[in-house]
Amino acid sequence: MNQAVEFEEMEHEIVGTVGTPLVDNPKMSTRNVDVFYGDKQAIFDVNLDLSANEVIALIGPSGCGKSTYLRCLNRMNDTIDICRVTGQLLLDEEDIYDKSMDPVLLRARVGMVFQKPNPFPKSIYDNVAYGPKLHGLASNRAELDEIVVTSLQKAGLFNEVKDRLDALGTGLSGGQQQRLCIARTIAVSPEVILMDEPASALDPIATAVIEELIDELRENFTIAIVTHSMQQAARVSQRTAYFHLGKLVEVGETNQIFTNPSHQLTENYITGRFG
Amino acid sequence: MSETTQAVKKSLSRRYRKEKIFRATGMAAILVGLSFVVILFVNIISKGYPAFEQTYIKLPIHFDEQTIDPQGERDPEVLRRADYMGLVKESLREAFPDVKGRSDKRDLYNLVSKGAGYDLADRVLADPALIGQTQELWLLADDEIDTFVKGHVTHSETIPLAGNPVVTDNDGQLRITGDAVVMDSLQNSLRDLVPVEMADEEETVMLPDDGPSVLLELQGGLVRITAYDPEGVTGKVVSPLKPDATDAGWNLVLHETPEAERRVKDKTIFWVRTLESRGLVEKHFNTVFFTSGDSREPEQSGIAGALAGSMLTLIVTLLLSFPIGVGAAIYLEEFAPRNRWTDLIEVNINNLAAVPSIVFGLLGLAVFISFFGLPRSAPLVGGLVLTLMTLPTIIIASRAALKSVPPSIKEAALGVGASKMQAMFHHVLPLALPGMLTGTIIGMAQALGETAPLLMIGMVAFIVDIPQGFTDNATVLPVQIFLWADSPERAFVERTSAAIMVLLGFLIGMNALAVFLRKKFERKW
Amino acid sequence: MHYQGALVTQSGTLIILLLGVLAVFFYAAKQRALNAAGGASGIRTLHSLPRYYGAYAVLWAAIPALVALLAWGFFQDPIVTKLVVSHLPPQQKSLSEAELSLVINDIRNLAAGDRSLDAVSSQIALAAEHYKNLHATAVAAKFVVILALAVVGGLFAWSRVSPRLQARNRVENIIRGVLILCSVIAIFTTIGIVLSVLFESIRFFEYIPFTEFLFGTHWNPSTNSFGAIPIFTGTLMISVIALLIAVPVGLMSAVYLSEYASNHFRAWAKPLLEILAGIPTVVYGFFAALTVAPFFANLGHSLGWDISPESALAAGVVMGIMIIPFVSSLSDDVINAVPQAMRDASYGMGATKSETIMKVILPAALPGIVGSVLLAASRAIGETMIVVMAAGLAANLTANPFEAVTTVTVQIVTALVGDQEFDSPKTLVAFALGLVLFAVTLVLNIFALHVVRKYREQYD
Repeated sequence: MNQAVEFEEMEHEIVGTVGTPLVDNPKMSTRNVDVFYGDKQAIFDVNLDLSANEVIALIGPSGCGKSTYLRCLNRMNDTIDICRVTGQLLLDEEDIYDKSMDPVLLRARVGMVFQKPNPFPKSIYDNVAYGPKLHGLASNRAELDEIVVTSLQKAGLFNEVKDRLDALGTGLSGGQQQRLCIARTIAVSPEVILMDEPASALDPIATAVIEELIDELRENFTIAIVTHSMQQAARVSQRTAYFHLGKLVEVGETNQIFTNPSHQLTENYITGRFG
Repeated sequence: MSETTQAVKKSLSRRYRKEKIFRATGMAAILVGLSFVVILFVNIISKGYPAFEQTYIKLPIHFDEQTIDPQGERDPEVLRRADYMGLVKESLREAFPDVKGRSDKRDLYNLVSKGAGYDLADRVLADPALIGQTQELWLLADDEIDTFVKGHVTHSETIPLAGNPVVTDNDGQLRITGDAVVMDSLQNSLRDLVPVEMADEEETVMLPDDGPSVLLELQGGLVRITAYDPEGVTGKVVSPLKPDATDAGWNLVLHETPEAERRVKDKTIFWVRTLESRGLVEKHFNTVFFTSGDSREPEQSGIAGALAGSMLTLIVTLLLSFPIGVGAAIYLEEFAPRNRWTDLIEVNINNLAAVPSIVFGLLGLAVFISFFGLPRSAPLVGGLVLTLMTLPTIIIASRAALKSVPPSIKEAALGVGASKMQAMFHHVLPLALPGMLTGTIIGMAQALGETAPLLMIGMVAFIVDIPQGFTDNATVLPVQIFLWADSPERAFVERTSAAIMVLLGFLIGMNALAVFLRKKFERKW
Repeated sequence: MHYQGALVTQSGTLIILLLGVLAVFFYAAKQRALNAAGGASGIRTLHSLPRYYGAYAVLWAAIPALVALLAWGFFQDPIVTKLVVSHLPPQQKSLSEAELSLVINDIRNLAAGDRSLDAVSSQIALAAEHYKNLHATAVAAKFVVILALAVVGGLFAWSRVSPRLQARNRVENIIRGVLILCSVIAIFTTIGIVLSVLFESIRFFEYIPFTEFLFGTHWNPSTNSFGAIPIFTGTLMISVIALLIAVPVGLMSAVYLSEYASNHFRAWAKPLLEILAGIPTVVYGFFAALTVAPFFANLGHSLGWDISPESALAAGVVMGIMIIPFVSSLSDDVINAVPQAMRDASYGMGATKSETIMKVILPAALPGIVGSVLLAASRAIGETMIVVMAAGLAANLTANPFEAVTTVTVQIVTALVGDQEFDSPKTLVAFALGLVLFAVTLVLNIFALHVVRKYREQYD
C-alpha cells in the first residue's frame, strides 16, 4: 500500500485524543471546543488541560489549527468578526466565555506573545509600562519603575538596555524586540502566557536565548507555546500536544511523544513524512 | 485572586465608562458632520424650490393698431419698438378704473413686469395678424408681486364677516357700524386677530400707525381701521368704496408686517387680492429661469446664459485637459526613465494639485490676458485656466488607472513583437480607459464648480446675452450665483438658491456617472 | 464682437483646409509605400505597416503648420498692435500706458466696425484703417504660410517614403515627443505661476517697500497703506476657527469609521461625509452669508454680545464644515495603515478599544494625522469664495472672532475685480499677496506630504 492511501485510512482513525490530554487541578481546561470561521470549521471537539507552571508545546503541520486554538484561550478570536467559538473553556474553574467574564480582565491574566515581534513605536520603558499603567497596577512612578526593571530583568533584556530605556523599542534587534514583547507581557503579572511561534522570526542565537527564557519563566507562569520546530518543543516543554487538521490527536510527556508516540499520525509527523 | 486580578477589577468600571464616552463622541462627530450636510441641503432647497414657479397675471390685451403700427407697413423694426407696456397699462386701468393720481397709477402699472412688453413684442413679431385683436394673455408679474404671492412679504389672515355693515362718512373718516349680527361678527373677529387688548368694554382702542395693518374689505373698496370701540370701527379709505357694488360679503384682513416695513403696500395687496378673487392670478412653471440670461429685474432673469457659458468653458477644458493629462500620465507611467527630472515633474504635479485656485486665476490674468492679449471673460480663457487646474487631478487618476493594469498584459504584447508604444496604445490604454474617464469626469465636476479663478479673468461682468462662441463674453453658473448673492431682493435669493440646486444637480449627476462607470468597468484582476 | 466671430469662421475654414491637405498626404504616402512593396502581398518587405508611412507624412505636414497656427494665434494681435502704435504721432506714443491702452482699444473697436465711435480724431481713424489693413494682411499671410508649410512638409516626407524608411520608429519618436511635452506642461504651469506672480510682485515692490508690506500694520489701499499684517492675522484667525471645527469632528469621525463602525455603516456614512468636499465653495459662501452670519449676529444680539454680521466666526465655521472631509479622509487612511499587529499587541494585554486607539493607534498615526491637518490648513488659507461672500473687506487687527476681518484671498479679489488700471499698486498688490499665498501653501503642502510619506515608509 502506498503512503497516501495509508494516510487516508488513518484519517478516519482520529476518535478521541490519545495520551494524557487531561490533568488534575488544571490551570486552564478546555472541553469540546469547536471553532468556526463563518461556515468553515477549523477546530473539532478539542479536550485539553493546561497544568499550572508547566510548559506545554502545541505542534502540528501548518494550518492544523494550533494558533487558532491558542487564540481561544485569551479570547483574541473575538477580534475576528466571523469567528465563532463553542465549548467550555475554564481558567481556574471560571468559564472564560461567560458573559460575566470581562475579556479585558481575562487578557490581563492570560497574556500573549506573537510570532512577529510587535513592540509599540514608543520607548522601551513605555512599552513595558503600557500594561501596568493601563490596569492601574502601580500607584506611583517608583512602583512603575520597579515593575519595568523587574520585567526587563525577568525577560533577560535589562542588562542590554538599562542605559537606554528611553530609546525607541522599534530600534532594537529582532531578538531583543521579542524579549521586549515578553517583558511587556509579564509586566502585567499574568498567570498564563500564550506564545504563538515566538522564535520563528528570529535567528538561532536569539532563539536560544528565548528558549532559555521560557524555561526560567516556567517558575512563575503557565506557558502554552505553539511551535513549528519539534526540536524546540523537545527542548522547552514538559508536555506536547499534537494537532492534525483541527483535531487533537495525541498529548503526552514530551520525551515520550518524540521517542515513542502512540498514534500513527503523530509518528508520521515526527518522522517527517509530512509537515 | 491574584494581585493583578484585584487591581484590574477595580479599574474596570472606570475604563468601560471611558470607552462608552469615547465611542459616543465618535458617533456624535459623524452625526454632526452628516447633519451639516442635511442642514445645507434643506436650507438651499427650501429657499430655492419656490423659484421654479412664477406668478402670472391674466389681462385682456388689445393689440391696438394705432399704437403698434401707425404706418401700417408691418416693418419689424417698428413693430419691435412699439409701446407695448402702454397696452398693458391700459388694460390695468380698465381693470381698476377707480385708480387715480400719478403715484397710485404708477403703483398699479408696477403690478406687471416690464419684461411683459418684450413678451408682447415677440408675439406680434411672430404673428403680425394679432394686430387689431384682443386676447386674454398671462403676463409675467413684477417680482415684488411674485414675492407677495409666495407669502414672503407678510403673513396675512382673512376672516369673512357676517351681516351688512353700515358705512358713514365723517369728514374723510369712515365710520362702520351695524346691527347686532354685524357688530358681533366684527368684535369677535377683531379680538381674534388683533393683539391689542380691550382694556375696558367702553373704551376706544386706537390702532398704532406703525403696527400691523388691520383692514376691512367691503363694498369693493378697502378701509384701514384706525380705531374701534363697542359701537363700531373708525377708519381711513385706502381704496374707494362703491356703495352700489353688488358684492355682498365683507372681510376683516390682517397684514402682520407693518406697512412701513414692506415694499408692497396695502393698496397693492388689495389689487392683487381682487385679481386673485377673479381667478386672474396664477403661478406657472418658471420657464423664464431656464431661457433667459441675467437681468436687473429678478423676474426676467435666468441661468440660460450662465449655463451656456459653463458648457462652453467645460468643453474647452475637456478638449484640452483630457488629451494632455492622459498623454502626461502615459509618459510618466510607461516611458519615463527614473531620474531627477521625472521626479521633479512628479513632485510638481502633486504640488499643483494643492495650490489654491485663486493663484491659477492670477496666472491666467498675467499670462493669458495681459501677455497674450486673449479676450477677457471668454470661455476660451476660462477653459485654459481650468485646464491647468484640472490637469493634476486627471494625471494622478490616469496614472493610477495605468498602474492597475497587470504588467502581464504589456509583457504578453511585447512578447509577440509589439513595440512599447504599440503595447501601450493597443493593449494597456484601452483597459485603463474607464479609470481615466472616471478621473476626468470627477475633474470636470470640480471645474464646473470653480469660481475664484474665473473671477480673476474677468467673468464678473453683467452678461445679458447668451454666449454662442468660445470668444464671446460669458459667465459661468458659479459666478452667476456669486453675482446674484449680492442682490437683496427676495426674488434673487430664491433664484440664487434655485441656481445652486441646478449646479448641485449637475455635480451629483456627474459624480454618480463616475461612480457608475467605475462599478461597471471594475475588473478583478 | 464682430471680430471674434470672424476669427472663429476664419480659423474654421483654415482648419478644414488643413485637414484636407493632411488627408491627401496620408493617402499619398501610404499608397507610395504600398507601391514600393508591390501591392498588399509584399508588405513584409517594408519596415513598417503602410499606415505608418501615411502617419509619417501627416506628422511632417501637420506639426510645422500647427506650430505656425499657434504662433499666429498668440502673437498676431500684439504684433499688429505694436506696428500700428509705432506709426502713431509722437504725442500719442508718449501717453502713459493706461491712456495708450484706451487709445488702442478705440482703434481696435473702430477697425472692427463699431460705429459708436463716430466722433474720433482723424489720427485714430487713420490708425484704425491701418490696423484693418495690417490685420487683413496678417490673416491672408496666415492662410498662405500655414498651408504652404503643410504642403512642403508633406511633400518632403512623401519623397522619403521607401521600404527602408523606419516609418514606425519615426512616428513613435514623434509621439513620444508629444507625450513628453504633455508632461512638461505641469512644469511650465508652475514656472508660469512663479514667474508671473513674481514679476508683477516685483513691480509692486517698486512702489511699496518689501518690509513695509510684510511688517506694516496699517492696511488701507485707498490711502496707499499696504501693511499686510492685519490681512495675515485675519487669514490666520479664520483658518484657526475652521480647524477648531474640522479637526475634532474629522478626526473622531475617522476614528469611529475605521475602528468602530460596521462595514455596512461605513459604506454609506463615508460617501455622505465626502459630499461636503464636493460642494462648490460658492454655495458655502452663500450659505455663510445668508444663513450662518445672520444666525450668529442674531444670537449675539439676543445674548447681549456684539457679533458683526461679517464675523470671522461665521466664515470660519462654514469653512470648517467644508474642510471636515479633508481631515477625516486622510486620517482614515493613516489610521488604517497602522498594522494590525499593533492592535493585537494592545488587545492581547487587556486594553479596551478606546485605550488602544488613544494610547497606541493615534500616537502611531500622529505624523500622518498632522500631515492631514496641515493639508487642511493649507486649503483653509487658500480658500476664496467663502470669505469673499461672508467675511469683511476692511482690515482689522484683532483677536476677537466676533469682529469682521479680511483675508489675503479677499484682498486679492477686491484688488483685481475693481476698476483700477493695471499698473497702480492698488492692483499690483494682488500679485504680492498671491506670492505670499503661494509660498505659504507650497511650504505647508511640501511639509505635509513629506511627513505623510515618511510616516508611510515606517510601516511598509
